[in-house]
This record gives sequence, structure tokens and C-alpha cells, in this order.
Amino acid sequence: MGTLDHFRAAFEALPEAARTAARRAALDAFLAEGLPSTALEDWRYTDLAPLAALPPDALGPDASASTDDAPSTFVDGLDALNRAFAAGGLDRTIDANTRLDAPLRPTARAHQRHRLHLARGSEATLILNTSGDAPFQTVFADITLDAGARLHLIRLNDAGSDAHRITRLRLGIARDANIDMVCVDLGGRLSRHELHVDLAEPGAGVTLNGLYAPTGNGHVDNHIWIEHRAPHCTSRLAFRGIARDKARAVFDGLVRVHPHAQKTDSEQRVANLILSPTAEINAKPELEIHADDVKCTHGATFGQLDEQALFYLRTRGVPEALARTLLTCTFAHDVLQHIRPEDVRARVTQRLLRQMPGGDEMRALQMEGLRMDAQS
Amino acid sequence: MLDIDNLHARIDGQDILKGITLRIRAGEVHAIMGPNGSGKSTLSKLLAGHPDYVVTQGSVRFGGEDLLALDPEARAARGVFLGFQYPVEIPGVSNMVFLKAALNAQRKARGEKELEAADFIAWVRHRVKQMKMDPAMLSRGVNEGFSGGEKKRNEILQMLVLEPKLMVLDETDSGLDIDALKVVADGINLMRSPERAVLLVTHYQRLLDHVQPDFVHVLAGGRIVKSGGPDLARELEEKGYGWLQQAA
Repeated sequence: MGTLDHFRAAFEALPEAARTAARRAALDAFLAEGLPSTALEDWRYTDLAPLAALPPDALGPDASASTDDAPSTFVDGLDALNRAFAAGGLDRTIDANTRLDAPLRPTARAHQRHRLHLARGSEATLILNTSGDAPFQTVFADITLDAGARLHLIRLNDAGSDAHRITRLRLGIARDANIDMVCVDLGGRLSRHELHVDLAEPGAGVTLNGLYAPTGNGHVDNHIWIEHRAPHCTSRLAFRGIARDKARAVFDGLVRVHPHAQKTDSEQRVANLILSPTAEINAKPELEIHADDVKCTHGATFGQLDEQALFYLRTRGVPEALARTLLTCTFAHDVLQHIRPEDVRARVTQRLLRQMPGGDEMRALQMEGLRMDAQS
Repeated sequence: MLDIDNLHARIDGQDILKGITLRIRAGEVHAIMGPNGSGKSTLSKLLAGHPDYVVTQGSVRFGGEDLLALDPEARAARGVFLGFQYPVEIPGVSNMVFLKAALNAQRKARGEKELEAADFIAWVRHRVKQMKMDPAMLSRGVNEGFSGGEKKRNEILQMLVLEPKLMVLDETDSGLDIDALKVVADGINLMRSPERAVLLVTHYQRLLDHVQPDFVHVLAGGRIVKSGGPDLARELEEKGYGWLQQAA
């Protein structure tokens, strides 16, 4: 692995007001720790070495003056790196029993460190979008829900083919609170997304729908940990992967049912579509159960497009390439339909179509289809 | 219109069709009947271009052209339609978009202009009405959550929208109640014309009460073992297939 000196150089180039003691301490912690090695089980399929090879001007530490200068402790080197390079982010509490109608959309800084707290019975939508131009971006967020709160969470990544992304979200969910989340990864060169879900009190629930569809040489890694720490909690995870070209995708999901977390209800399904012989998907849903009265399922499938459906479309006159695109869209639609804000859903769908062969034709059809549905 | 000459075909190394010769002229309705496993479905799928079947001998010409040399989509554009025994569900693609994609692709392949959206919608809605279907189905996914009968009705709807020349209907009657059977039969009759031909593949005589065939053929063991007029279907209904299989 190359040297990480350019991380320090990028930091030292910041204006003085940005170089606070806390950020510097975080940088030192990161440099002492280094990047995670592929010898670690959680990093087996994802090598962050390309980060060491990024040009210094690609690193983009936030030049804003920091307000919060309290020293922190770090979970690992990446946590420290995010602390050093981010100058803040969303820091917000939603008042009890209130509902935010407009989605929260943090400004598109390269490095972001958010804290969001939903007080009892509140409801909000948060959209974390890492689709900007920054070659290197880290987004870390600490999200906690008090009893009965609801959060609709969307994490989008449709960055360009040179983009490097690291995200880590911690979701703490209290009694009868619930998060539904949609994760979409369509672009980027190298992405690692971590999601830590803590179902901490009875009745807490989480629903995760995800789509990862890297193209070209892209590499997307989703690592998810769901901790069932209390009885009567529910988790639903349904991810879909599409890999084409020489793309690689990693999915690693662990549902851990702690002792006493009786009546846990958990489902983990991962379906993958491999559209090219040079593409690769490593998907590993796992279960670890330490309670005896639980209902847990998990499974992963890997396949190609349904030949029967392909034949069906072709007998109706649809050319093979378009038929393949149509079926691939269908596969993705299963996830995308869960995106609630219509404008976001439309944009993601358009982007997905753009990266598919015959996508233009499909896009025209789809637009027309929407118009026709409106008229019929 | 369709000339099948000494057709032999296999799938997974197993011979299914063992020398079928059949000529269908424009304006005719042919019924192919036969017991399960006789090769009826194989013949239907093969005519539509299913990639799993390998022709080992013989030929199929459609309008003088070598049909077997064409992709399924090219066959469709020339006017071959297959009504599936088990129509496929395609969730996420609405029936409207599906029909539009199909019709436009066919028109494009034939060098015709695509229909304007408004004309297309009017055309489809007209056909939906003829099939006594709920127009709301157009914005639902293709066959998504449809009952067996609804799926078969949808096959005929697609046929009415696409207006093919040769309609091969593979057990379109199976799984239909009497009312649905009549709607489906009406749809087929609507398409009968001196320029078109129908090949009904069926296990039962029931459909033939509503769609009167000109010729009935019995397929057994991969061959046509008997041909006749509409009376043959009634004879089969009474006697079953046993006597013919023995003869074969």
C-alpha cells in the first residue's frame, strides 16, 4: 500500500481556521491506523489501496472553519479520517410528535459528518446523495430514533466512473420506532457502504431495500450489520444486484439475534443478476442466533435473465437487446419502487436506463408509458 | 402461407417431432389435437423460434421465406404470433408499455411509421373493450398477479392489438371457464379473414365448438397420424386418443 502522506499534505493546505486541534488529532489517528487491510475478514473483497494512489487535489478536505472542536474517539481509521476531513454536517433534532414534510437534503460537501435525532413520535425523510463530482467522498452519519419515531431514509450513489465513496451510517432505533431505507448504487469506481442497525428496544423495526448495479470497472461493497438486541423487533432486508462489464459487487449482511431477543422476526434476501462473464458478485447474507424463539430467514440467489420472459418478449417482436434491457429494468424496479419521493425515483430510473444498452429506447418508451398511463 | 415439410426436431438430445408435414393456406383454421407429450407444444414454440429446440431435418417456409432462419422477433414482425400455454409474468412493465414496445418494434422492422401515442391508446382501448377487459389492466404489470384465465385473455388481447397473419395458439383454451372461453373464441373469430390463418393447438374439442376449424389433425408420437374435417374433433372427444395411438 502506498504512503498516505498526501492526506496530511491536503490537510496542511487548508486555511488555518479549518485546521482545528480536534481535526488534526483525528488526522493523526487516521495516519497511525492507516487504511484497513484486506487481511481483515470485513475487507476481504474490498481493497482501499486506490485511495492511497489518488492525487492530493482529489482528496478535498473541507475548508470551512469548524465549529465543533470537541475531541472525539474513533471506531477505526476511517472514522478518524471522516472526522478530520469533514467540517460538520447536519446536526439536528426533530421535535417530538412533529413531522417534517420536506426531505432533509444535506449540502453536497465532499466530506460530511451528520447527526440526526428524531425525538419521540416524530417523522422525517433524509436523502443522502453521494452523486456529486468529488473524486473522493466520505459520509458518516449517526442517526437515533426515540420511541415511536419514523424515518424514511434514502442513500443514493450514482457518481461518475472516477468516484471513490465511503459511507457509514449508524441507526439506533428505540421502542416501536421504525426506519425504512432504500439504498441505490449505480456508479462510481470504488464504493464502500456500511450500515450498522441497532434494534435496541422492543418493537423496533427496519426495512432495507437496496440495489447495487456497478458498471465498467466499478466496485461496490455493501456491508450491513443488523443487531436484534431486544424482543419483538423486526428486520426486512431485500437487496438486488446487477453486475455487467468487469464490475464487482460485494454484499455482506449479518443479522445477529442477541440472547433474550425472543420473537425476533427477520428476513434477509439478496438476488443477483450477472450479465457478463467478467462481472463478479460476492454476496453473503449471514445469521447469528443466540435466542431460541425467533423467526429468521436468509438467502441469496445468483442468476441470469429469465429465458422464458426473454422469449416471450421476442415473440411479440421486441428485439433481443431491448428485451434484455426491459427485463433488467424490471428486476431493478422491484427495489426502485420503494423510493417514495417521485422526483428522486424518476431520476434514479433515468440514470439506470442511461447505463444500459438500448436504454435510450427504453427511456423513450417509459416516458411515453407514463404519459399513456396518465391518459388511460 | 405456412409450409411445414418433414420437420424433425429435438430438445436436450431427445427427438420430439419425427417428420411433420403440414400446409396452411391463408384464410384457413387448422386445429392440432393430441395427447400430452405428443409434440404439440414443441411445434408451437418451434414455429415462434424458441432457441432450445433444434431442427434436425425438414423445413418450414412462411410466405415463401425460410422461417427457421429468422429470430423470434423477425418472425413476429412478419406476422407470426404465438399465444402461450403459460404466459409469462413481467412485473414492472405495464401492459401498455409492453404493447407499445411490441407494436412499434414490429412496425419499425417492417419499415412502417410508429403510431402516434393518441392513436395507439385509442386502438388499444378499442381492443380491450372487445376482450371485455378492465382498462385499468393496461397500467398493471404484464400478467402480474393475473389469474390463469386473465392471462389467456391477455394473450388474445395482444393478438388483437398486433394483428398477426399467422396465429398459433397453444392450449389457449385450457384453464378457462365457459364465459372466458367464449370471449377468447370471439377474439379469435374477430381475427379470421381471408388474409390470415389460425393454428389452434388444443387438447380438447370444447374450443372448436366456438371456433370452427377447416381441418383437424391428430398429433401422436411426433407425427400427424390422422387428418380430417371438424367431425374428427368430435370423434376424438368421444373415443379419446387411444385408438389413434395404437394405429400410429
